[in-house]
Amino acid sequence: MTQSTKTMPSESIPATLEVPPESRLQYINRMLGVSRLGLVLVILLAALPFIPPFNREDLLRWMIGATLIAAQAIAFDFTTGYINVVNFGFAAFLGVGAYTSALLAVELGVSPWIGIFAGVVPAAVLGFFTGVLTLRLRGIFAALMSWFVGLALLGIARNWVDLTRGPLGLSAPRFLETSSNRPYFYIIFAMMIVTYVVLRWITRSHIGLAFRALGQNIDAARASGINPTFYRVLNFTVQCAFAGWLGGFYAHYYGILTPQVMATSHTVEVLAIAYVGGRGSIWGGAFVAFPFIFFFEWLRSTLTDLPGLHLVLYGVLLILVMIFYPGGVAQLYELLKDLVSRFRPDPVSTTKVTK
Amino acid sequence: MQATQTQESFITDLLRKVFSAAGLTILLTLVIAGATVFIAGPFVLINAIVTGGMWALMAAGLSLVFGVMNIVNFAHGEFFMVGTLVAYFVFTPLSAHLKTNPSPLLSAVAPFLGILAAALVGALLGAVIEKTVFLQLRKRTKEQWIMNSFLLTVGLSVIIINGVQILWGTNFKGITRYWEIPPFDILGVTVSVDRAVVFFLAMATMLLFWYFLRNTGTGRAIRAVSQDETGARMVGIDMNRIQVLTMALSSALAALAGASLLFMFPSYPTVGLKPLYIAWYVVILVGMGNVAGALVGGFIVALLQTMTSYFIGPGWEDVIPTAFVMLILLVKPSGLFGSEVKGIHER
Repeated sequence: MTQSTKTMPSESIPATLEVPPESRLQYINRMLGVSRLGLVLVILLAALPFIPPFNREDLLRWMIGATLIAAQAIAFDFTTGYINVVNFGFAAFLGVGAYTSALLAVELGVSPWIGIFAGVVPAAVLGFFTGVLTLRLRGIFAALMSWFVGLALLGIARNWVDLTRGPLGLSAPRFLETSSNRPYFYIIFAMMIVTYVVLRWITRSHIGLAFRALGQNIDAARASGINPTFYRVLNFTVQCAFAGWLGGFYAHYYGILTPQVMATSHTVEVLAIAYVGGRGSIWGGAFVAFPFIFFFEWLRSTLTDLPGLHLVLYGVLLILVMIFYPGGVAQLYELLKDLVSRFRPDPVSTTKVTK
Repeated sequence: MQATQTQESFITDLLRKVFSAAGLTILLTLVIAGATVFIAGPFVLINAIVTGGMWALMAAGLSLVFGVMNIVNFAHGEFFMVGTLVAYFVFTPLSAHLKTNPSPLLSAVAPFLGILAAALVGALLGAVIEKTVFLQLRKRTKEQWIMNSFLLTVGLSVIIINGVQILWGTNFKGITRYWEIPPFDILGVTVSVDRAVVFFLAMATMLLFWYFLRNTGTGRAIRAVSQDETGARMVGIDMNRIQVLTMALSSALAALAGASLLFMFPSYPTVGLKPLYIAWYVVILVGMGNVAGALVGGFIVALLQTMTSYFIGPGWEDVIPTAFVMLILLVKPSGLFGSEVKGIHER
């Protein structure tokens, strides 16, 4: 497409520019951006619960925590990395989904498998309204507004004791009767994959292009015919819907819900992972979550006399990444890929023009 | 003729001021305050007045840092927490010492020593953070400064909270009162000496701060930087000095607020979160970079909180002000008294 706009002497056009029609598989691969390395890592992750040190129940619990954070980081990056608005009340939407699903199960006896999808609805509706609220605001003011929404929701969850039982905690039924953690890992693993596929697909489509344009320069985007209202509200709604869905897993896995799940510190955790992973990449946060959560959990379980040390490291890391390498791991990966391809010239590199 | 004309224009001017958004809000606040006093009795107002002054100090520091350095400081509440901690560790040994060998002079001065030490430590911490963290970021970041610096302060906040937790634990470190003097009565309301002193301390600090920004060379330089950074650089203002000073001043104000309110907010690692978002409410309410407005905003937010907690129930005092501030952000994003501040935060 970019080639056609250039005026080139007709004799110098190489024959490879005649683009072969893209096969269905190639199209899917382009949309999902699955590299060979990525595929290997995903398969490895899926097999991990059967590989010896990781089939221990405590390590499985860490893995579930890491996968949950990874899925949240994907959803978080969908807003932060694309329309460039930090949803600072992210955890609150997760909490809304969690409470809805848990309350449906407790009060009406709805199965958690249905409740988890029912939790999407209020989270998405609230996300829709938050999107509308932040419309007129740019950058940091939109982040503050979403933070205030999150604080208000947290306050409601804390004080509406009749419904949520407040800080006492609401006990929710778990998905399965089993005490093993392995099935839970596969549930959240599948949820993470779905989150990735859907959000990646959206961001690679023309909608994602509109998101990026809005994130970079809202006036220029509007001038070129992108409706900021529609796309920003859409982005918030989709993100919060996924947050609510993941919240449902949180409720039915941990089995106990306190308003603390909606606290700002929870958002900060997801935010740190998403940023270290690299904004605007979708996969960066998910990739980073596993080594990090494992490292932090290991640190927490070995240095029990120093509670909070892992969080200090979180902070240090966030600061270092912000100062020295704001692109995060995703940018590092691109850099390495460039270096590798420089040393090993790819014979079919001309296929790049198909994009 | 002349006299009537000026008088008329004065009246229309006054009317315009009263019927502006700011005027209406202040009027409404006064009416609500009056109604509250009438229904619930004046004692409800005391807490609002005491905390309102300190929220104003927090908000002034927050908006100063935003104006001068374009940093949305998420770690501002942590300076409040450090203030409570320092005041506790200075004041408690002193009061224990006073128990064994009483001295009227020292017992009157000891709380001030604690508050002063807190402000100094706060200033030092702010300056160190500016030199070690923000300066480094400034050297490297050109675009996306607002977002990057904001996330940096998120990291700082996590570090300070958990660092304090590791070093001093999570237990509450509080005092019941600063001065062992019986409370006195004003208009039939019993007011403890602490509250009265803290109120006057807030007012005096605010006045001093306002005077400093308005009438001293350094204060003018700070305001110049917040209005136009390039212009300020052109006339030869030393940016590094101003930035360090601003950060130190802002942190000192927050630490002072924390130390002064130690008897209401016992020190523990996450005590700073509430003052942080209240300070943000105030800043959003009155608009960025408005010191005198911060005072009014501080009282409005504090009044809203005490009223909500009195009429609706304790625990809800955060929800209603949040909704109110969201409304303000929606209809008047530049704040009640806000002029059009420079556009960088819009990016």
